[in-house]
Amino acid sequence: MTTTTTEQTATASAARTAPAKRPGGRRREGAAWVFLSPWVLGAAVLTLLPMAVSLYLSFTDYDLFNPPRWVGLRNYTQMFTEDPRYWRSVGATLTYVVIAVPLQLALALVVALGLKSMRRGRGFYRSAFYAPSLLGASMSIALVWRALFNDGGTVDNLFGTGGWVNRPGWALLAVALLTVWQFGAPMVIFLAGLQQIPTELYEAASVDGASRWRQFLSITVPMLSPVIFFNLVLQTIQAFQVFTPAFAVSGGKGGPADSTLFYTLYLYDRGFVASHMGYASAMAWVLLIVIGAVTAVLFRTSRTWVFYASEGDR
Amino acid sequence: MPGNRTRKSWQPRITAATAATAATAMLVSCSLLAGCSGSDGASGAGGKVVLRYTWWGNPDRAARTQEAVDLFEKKHPEIEVQTSFSGYDAYKQKLATQAAGGDAPDAMQLDYRMIDQYASGGVLLDFAEQPSALDTGEFDAGLLATGKVDGKQYAIPQARGTETVVYDTAQWKKSGVALPREGWTWSEWADAVRELAKRTGRPGATDPGQSEDAFEVWLRGRGKSLYTEDRRLGFTVDDLTRWWTFADKLRREGAVSPAEQTTQLDGTVENTPLGRGKAISDSNWDAPSSGFVALVPGGVTLAPMPSGEDTPGQYFKPSMFMGVAADTGHPKESVRLVDFMLNDPDAARILGATRGIPVNESLRAAIAPGLKDFDKTVFDYQASLEGDLDAPPQAPPSGDSALQTTFARDYDQVSYERMSPREAAEDYVTEAKAELRS
Repeated sequence: MTTTTTEQTATASAARTAPAKRPGGRRREGAAWVFLSPWVLGAAVLTLLPMAVSLYLSFTDYDLFNPPRWVGLRNYTQMFTEDPRYWRSVGATLTYVVIAVPLQLALALVVALGLKSMRRGRGFYRSAFYAPSLLGASMSIALVWRALFNDGGTVDNLFGTGGWVNRPGWALLAVALLTVWQFGAPMVIFLAGLQQIPTELYEAASVDGASRWRQFLSITVPMLSPVIFFNLVLQTIQAFQVFTPAFAVSGGKGGPADSTLFYTLYLYDRGFVASHMGYASAMAWVLLIVIGAVTAVLFRTSRTWVFYASEGDR
Repeated sequence: MPGNRTRKSWQPRITAATAATAATAMLVSCSLLAGCSGSDGASGAGGKVVLRYTWWGNPDRAARTQEAVDLFEKKHPEIEVQTSFSGYDAYKQKLATQAAGGDAPDAMQLDYRMIDQYASGGVLLDFAEQPSALDTGEFDAGLLATGKVDGKQYAIPQARGTETVVYDTAQWKKSGVALPREGWTWSEWADAVRELAKRTGRPGATDPGQSEDAFEVWLRGRGKSLYTEDRRLGFTVDDLTRWWTFADKLRREGAVSPAEQTTQLDGTVENTPLGRGKAISDSNWDAPSSGFVALVPGGVTLAPMPSGEDTPGQYFKPSMFMGVAADTGHPKESVRLVDFMLNDPDAARILGATRGIPVNESLRAAIAPGLKDFDKTVFDYQASLEGDLDAPPQAPPSGDSALQTTFARDYDQVSYERMSPREAAEDYVTEAKAELRS
């Protein structure tokens, strides 16, 4: 084993210093490219090229039928200064992110804690709670949701709430609830994280007379913080891109009164309903930058509250 | 180094997965590419000319269309027609994508709102290039003109429809409110819906404020139009403010449907207040109103739209068109197919009123005795208006299909009392000007 490693290292350093001398080096590199080619081709043709085209289109006026017309920054200036509906979509999306993400993570954590302390039937409940995450993204569940919260729907009949999806103040909450309900994926990750926390910590704490709440705050949360952080970043990014639930619940219109006009929904509307592909591309790039910025901010704040078990080693 | 071994073991799996993904991706792109080159598939099986004909509709229409196409193939053994269809929204998007990729089908069904966009984008053939293959002698000149853009005939109207006040026959009669009559005005209509709401406890009608179609009828009744001939807005902020104030007032009085009901409108009859049993009447196009028959227990009656003080406003609108791709390899055969679908008496008998009442005047008379049920209702309703209506406007400009949505959205702001009618009208006119400029 050791010899192999030494040999490899030697070859590697030889290759680094004098690649030309190494027999078959070029051929091996060629082989690597051959094996990589499906991926490289896929990435280039299906990801990089469309991205480049989209960036180009964002500076043009393009209606799908006539050739794109270069308009410089007009799409961007129009978006920020002349389009009240754009700002309504930004408002709806931010409100949604702020409501849905914390609620969903809190629920996921609570259920994970409950499942962890459960002795029997954990597997069943874990699957049962996870199922909505598999179904939730589908159009059909969103349509069921619409039927539930419609006027004359089940929720209305049971609690006399009136149709939530038809009231501007409440429609967003109905959509957020649909997301919260799909807490399965973060829950499974929380559960895995909880099981990694050494039980000795809790035993020591209870010997010292710490309450359950104290133990939660001083042991569970810090030990779980990398997982919380991971879920937070993932769910936030997803929430910014929410589309299907709002599309189905509002019949594609983002109504009532633009209250569920999420960013992606408005983007879709501009691109595919109004045929302003350039404007839609510009919106997509702004969204990309905003999500990047928000993620960067999350990473920066994480230094103050995320603790890694190996931190002592540093 | 155990890490080394682990890495070795998962590396091939990753590669396999990536390769599989890439292969799938390539398959997808291949099929896309194959789709893209389809328009050159000039001649196919056995030296026959192969035409692609696409349309939107339902299974009933599919069965009858296929029957008609079979007959066409029998009469023209040298031509083979491949048909495909889907629902309207899916059709609209698919056709737009095909057209953008230079792959429009040889013959296609078109909507009023598509014509300007497709014609100006160079997708459609000018029928004047194939005069011998198509006979338009039996078409009303006004209707035929709706398929023209800049004086060129890019599309041929296939069937016609008109707006109607469709009402719950039993409920309206029971209420004792005078029934709608031809030539009734908008203020008479308003009085009727108020009275209906008072006597039945249900709103008399769907709030018309969100409907660009209803607004157009009202506007034409005042001698104006949605768009001018040079594709600009044909009305002012004041006009729209007046319309929305009119609707908003009725809504506040409870005479027409509340915002929570109106916002659910999505083009299907099932989601209209009338279809849900929450209003006495609705304004809609005549042919799609057949859906109410199954939803309203007492049956429905079609009445004319309210008219302006001195002009009706209502018009016969071509409900769909046929067009031919500009870059088809077989213009003559494609136009011949269009001619067959629109002018052949046998085809007309097979197709009946599945696309609305035919535009060809002699065929209209020929199929009349064979019509049944709601087809007959629509036919009789249209016959009752014959000769009373003004000519239809030219095809709406490209930005219109987006503006139709904007119209409903802006009125949402009014009916939820988030904007005044004037604010919403200003919003709409600003957006419309931007939309029509580009």
